[in-house]
Amino acid sequence: MAYAKITAMLLESLETHCFRNTSGKISWGPNLNIIYGDNGQGKTNWLEAIYLLATTKSFRTQRLQEAVCFGEELAIVRGRVACAQEVHRDLQVAVQSGTKTLIVNSKREAVTRYLGQLDAIAFTADELEVVRGAPDARRRFLDRGILSLHHIYVQTLADYNRVIKQKNRLLQDASNAEQSAADVLPLITPWNEQLISLGSQIHHARAGYVTRLNEVLERRLFGREEVTIRYVSSLEGKGDLSDYESLLAERLRLRLPAEIAAGYALVGPHRDDLGILFDGHEIRTYGSSGQQRSALITLDLAAISLYYSWRREYPLFLIDDIDAELDGKRIEHLLKHLEGRTQTFITTSKESLVKQYLTRANVYEVKEGLVAEARLLTNKSMSLVTEA
Amino acid sequence: MLEYAEPVIKLIDEFKRLPGIGHKSAQRLAFHVLRMSETDVERFIAALQEVKRRIVSCSICNNLTDVDPCRFCSSPGRDRSVICVVEEPYNLVAVEKTRSYKGLYHVLHGSISPIRGMNVEDLRLANLLPRLKPENNEGVEVREVILATNPNTEGEATANYIKHLLKPLGLRVTRIAMGMPVGSDLEYVDEVTMDKALTNRHEI
Repeated sequence: MAYAKITAMLLESLETHCFRNTSGKISWGPNLNIIYGDNGQGKTNWLEAIYLLATTKSFRTQRLQEAVCFGEELAIVRGRVACAQEVHRDLQVAVQSGTKTLIVNSKREAVTRYLGQLDAIAFTADELEVVRGAPDARRRFLDRGILSLHHIYVQTLADYNRVIKQKNRLLQDASNAEQSAADVLPLITPWNEQLISLGSQIHHARAGYVTRLNEVLERRLFGREEVTIRYVSSLEGKGDLSDYESLLAERLRLRLPAEIAAGYALVGPHRDDLGILFDGHEIRTYGSSGQQRSALITLDLAAISLYYSWRREYPLFLIDDIDAELDGKRIEHLLKHLEGRTQTFITTSKESLVKQYLTRANVYEVKEGLVAEARLLTNKSMSLVTEA
Repeated sequence: MLEYAEPVIKLIDEFKRLPGIGHKSAQRLAFHVLRMSETDVERFIAALQEVKRRIVSCSICNNLTDVDPCRFCSSPGRDRSVICVVEEPYNLVAVEKTRSYKGLYHVLHGSISPIRGMNVEDLRLANLLPRLKPENNEGVEVREVILATNPNTEGEATANYIKHLLKPLGLRVTRIAMGMPVGSDLEYVDEVTMDKALTNRHEI
């Protein structure tokens, strides 16, 4: 395999130890990697391990301890990454009693220094919430994208959420005590001032990200229907959005009595949404399940292309259960689009798909519940080339 | 069945009440105490009791002290026209270490945090406003109040609250700057601090 083709960010191999039901090592190909096996064999666990190594998070759970194999204390995911042709780094994420330890080249690193060595975008059943679910899934999609470009956004988000949490507590207490707006104002102002400054930063970051996503969106990737997106501020129609900071301040002032009555914060970008339209119709309500999947893939590809234009390298792209999510025609379109761009990892239970892509992909078969064994299938022999 | 004898468990539990001490550290400390000699233990107990008996908070600035008013408030060498507001006594020590600040202090003993049950009325603020009057400040008018609360959301909220309290009085209210640690290389500064330093840059 020609590793030189893609110059940056390549996961060469991955080793797991007691991560869910996986233990073993797989060497990956630089382009398309297919993880094949019957349902319940642990295919997704390998994808999750890759995602964890890249982002230090799971796409399945907030509580990483769940990912430690039952009855074990420590789970380790280790990978070798080619950052450039001659630069290799060994990354490791260890999960033990709910905390994770991050290691780069055998040395412990803080999360801010760890991130950015490897990056991944994952298309999973859970991610479909972006096109199907409540606005918070779409806000998270945007925030994730912004974070992959600007790591310091993490502090803005954390501070904003903290301010909202503090403010909610104040409002709840005020609501229970039936306090008047005049009584609450001096106590709420110190928090609202921060909410205005942090909220404006978040608004501008998200609106700007959506604008740039729109510029690179392959609107008709999957056929005639056109995908468009727009950032929907919760302050839309309430005044001049171009002076967001002043508008937010004014709305906070006006809505204080309502916030006290509700007992939680009603005004700010934590109430915003991303509008995703398919041929002009709201996809969440009017889109078919296939259209929703197409739209999400289109968004993911736009995020990938934005990532590339910003950082001059592609993140890994992970697609879980590809045939459940997309039909054959769409898969073909998608994989063609990704060829020569991302190092792609997909899982499938369909043998026909494996046969179709055997010449263009590295295929690994995952078998047997508890200890997953990865086998590299070749055209002729389907023989065992395990390194575990 | 308890893991250890009852007195040991009691000691471990007491250590666990201390901030920053988890179960393992508490266990280690308790076993260290078991190995200590009788005199060492008595000296330790005496130190605990003495600190509770002799340390009071300064009636002017709330700093912890063994004499009231504290050494800062009663010192003739301090500039009484500037007051630096900090959250905790150890923050005062941090400012004091600069040796360049010669003014007075005011210790709040906390910051506003509704989710931790710390509200405005829990801050030691009541004695700040009276201090600003010359008749309560050995005839000196306070020109400036420096808000040196921590650079996190709670510290920021606390500073904002005090700012609104003091602004109508017409004195100068300032907030400490955020940015680069001096004496280190740019490359060692975390991204968030670097970003703040860039935002707060000034012309030279």
